[in-house]
Amino acid sequence: MIIHKAKGIWIDGKKTMSKTLPMHEYLNPPFVYIPLLQQASPLKRIVEIGDKVAIGQTVALREGFGAMPIHASVSGTVTAIKKVWHASGRMVEAIEIQNDFQNRMDESIHVQTDVSLLSRNDLVIKMQQAGLSGLGGAGFPTYIKYQAKCPIDVVIINAVECEPYLTCDYMLINSYPEKLLKGLSYFMRAADAKKGVVAFKAYNTHIKESLEPLLLNYPGIELYEVKDIYPAGWEKYIVQKITKKSYSGLPAEAGAIVDNSATAIVFADVVEKNIPLISRVITISGEGIKNPQNFYVPLGTLVKELILLAGGYIEGLDPTKAWYIAGGPMTGRAILIDDLIVNDTLGSVIVKPMPEELKHPACLGCGKCADLCPVYLTPTEIQRAFESKDTKAIKELNAQKCMQCGLCSYVCPSHIEIADYVARAKELLRKGA
Amino acid sequence: MARFANGKAPFLRKTDDLTYGTQVIMRDFLIGLIPLILFAWYKNGIKVYVEGNATLLEMFYPIIFIMLGGLISMVIEGLFFIITDKEVRTLKVMMKKLQLSYAMIPGILLAMILPLYTPIWVLIFGCIMATFVTKLLFGGFGYNIFNPALIGYVAIAFTLMGVINKAGGVLNGSEVLIDAIAGATPLSTLSTTNLLSYQTLVAPYGSLWNFFIGTIPGALAETSALACIISFVWLSARKVIKWFVPVIYIGTVFGLSWLIGIFNGQAGIWFPTFSILSGGLMFGAVFMATEPVTTPKNPLGKIVFALFLGVFTVLFRFIGQYPEGVATSIIFMNIFTMPIDKWTSVIRTQGVTKKTIIKIIILAILIIAIATYALIKANSIYSASIGLPLYIGGWN
Repeated sequence: MIIHKAKGIWIDGKKTMSKTLPMHEYLNPPFVYIPLLQQASPLKRIVEIGDKVAIGQTVALREGFGAMPIHASVSGTVTAIKKVWHASGRMVEAIEIQNDFQNRMDESIHVQTDVSLLSRNDLVIKMQQAGLSGLGGAGFPTYIKYQAKCPIDVVIINAVECEPYLTCDYMLINSYPEKLLKGLSYFMRAADAKKGVVAFKAYNTHIKESLEPLLLNYPGIELYEVKDIYPAGWEKYIVQKITKKSYSGLPAEAGAIVDNSATAIVFADVVEKNIPLISRVITISGEGIKNPQNFYVPLGTLVKELILLAGGYIEGLDPTKAWYIAGGPMTGRAILIDDLIVNDTLGSVIVKPMPEELKHPACLGCGKCADLCPVYLTPTEIQRAFESKDTKAIKELNAQKCMQCGLCSYVCPSHIEIADYVARAKELLRKGA
Repeated sequence: MARFANGKAPFLRKTDDLTYGTQVIMRDFLIGLIPLILFAWYKNGIKVYVEGNATLLEMFYPIIFIMLGGLISMVIEGLFFIITDKEVRTLKVMMKKLQLSYAMIPGILLAMILPLYTPIWVLIFGCIMATFVTKLLFGGFGYNIFNPALIGYVAIAFTLMGVINKAGGVLNGSEVLIDAIAGATPLSTLSTTNLLSYQTLVAPYGSLWNFFIGTIPGALAETSALACIISFVWLSARKVIKWFVPVIYIGTVFGLSWLIGIFNGQAGIWFPTFSILSGGLMFGAVFMATEPVTTPKNPLGKIVFALFLGVFTVLFRFIGQYPEGVATSIIFMNIFTMPIDKWTSVIRTQGVTKKTIIKIIILAILIIAIATYALIKANSIYSASIGLPLYIGGWN
């Protein structure tokens, strides 16, 4: 009870900021950039400069683990292969496609008439063909989860969205509640699972209201409320709560598959209309944005255009004293140049003025970081082991289990970058091993 | 294109809110001292004044003495900064620096655990030991290994107690006139007697109620269990300290003392109660055993640390010349903070596995062995030994 107490902490979500305005559809940017990188794997380009492409046409291939095609998100001409800023914090080669605004569809996009006849295997192949990857942030290829050998009892849709500021999943579910449940039922068929669960945060009563009346048509699907704490949206936490089972590697060991709600909504389109993964919702928010809101955009859109559509930065924003964060504020990454493109894992861009820098005392040793750690690490000890480059101790202290939720840094009263030390210790372990 | 600032995730911090942070923790800690300081003032100042045994100045002396401790510590640290830090040239910079290193706290705590009318130069000596030797030489706030106030106290206790006695230092302002018990704390009675009885241990000071309220001989501000409990509730509620550390520490002492009582023919609850209400245990448990810098950081480490403190406190009360088990055991355990933290961090994160089971067993054996030794030692002191089997008694 005392030793393993920590189960998160309440953090002010600041979500109303981007909820007030409706979701803005921006489907035809003049240019899109398809990055030749997914997770850590480089992609193989299969189009040349000057090629005409249609929406949904394959432009690149992921090879090796998680092999799958990547599709064009607008119709037009390939005009260049350029380096662009990617959410991973690096410059990445990308295929530049100039939009011809004709919205030509690839012939692979057609309405599937015999949906009920599709077998389990057909659905998994469809996932792969659609290039479906997790839209929650990790970008794990979805079909790999469904190829797991373990029997699956339950498919969980993670609509918790516990990162502050983010409302992209919330807005998408409210717009397409039916599609979410459809996507989930197809997921259940693909996993041969009897049960489906939609997990959401308790204060998101809208999700409950819009989904509950529809549940009658979808037997086996339940709603599950999680408490308003961070990191309640952590996969392991949700699986433990719902299945009452623990696991060490993948959730499949506990008989569960977890998918993001946005992924499920895309999957409904994949199955019924054969539209691959070409668009997503992104939250543009933060105190540095004039009108924070959500955008529904093709993958590869420039975030710059979206920020202009959101009214631009607030007046008097000093960029050298503000953060431009790709992803949520807890786990995201500071991007130095505001020239980012939307990729599949980018759920939000937050522009936030830095708080006033205060002088902080040394580590007091209060142990709040160890108290709150969801995987029961002692970050101060990992820091000590890291500083003496003691890989054996780092390993003993289970640093590799850290999932970088950032709670230890968040809660540190002395403002120590303790999460960063743990991340670097992890890195050291990987290199040393 | 604009160039933005770099930063590290998370980009939200609890310290963004100014009602959270180390400053606030330390402020709450100081507020937690107020009940004890007020009680010290009542016991050593107001009460004496009302009884007509002190002048007006003497009435305020306890408060002045405690504040003086804090002031001396700040002066020492300020001088140190002037000598070592080139940036410290103006008073403003220095005050900011002193504020960030919480310079006054060791001095205040030290003054609170010294006898009343301790000569000022002894206090200065203690503050130098506390602030300069224990804190600054080790790298300043956050880097000290030992509890500064306790090192200052032990340095005085081991070298200058005679001086304090000669200079008229008294353990209890109001009872200084009663010759019989002046200068004798309940625990020193315990260390000189070899019979456990309510008559010799508790009766001279009235009843256990006096122990609870704190009107017994003892250092300036450490005698009142009541004030300590009020502070404990405040500090726990403000999350400055972990509530379970004092509870486990005091609980261990209570349990072991009860066993000692039972083995020596005193099955009543008065002896364990007497044990936890005397010798500054409450004060040490709430303010010293929870001191964050010098104790383990992870919760399991804190539990193990508190258990060790409990058994060592009982042991030190029955071996050695000095009746103060609390200060010595806390300082002694400070040495082992690092290894305990290291071991318990591994145990906590890995759970009970093949790799950690040996560590768990070693820790358990150590605690049980020390507790057993304390029992045997106590048992050999008191003549009324009836409980333990004879062969254990034969050890000594």
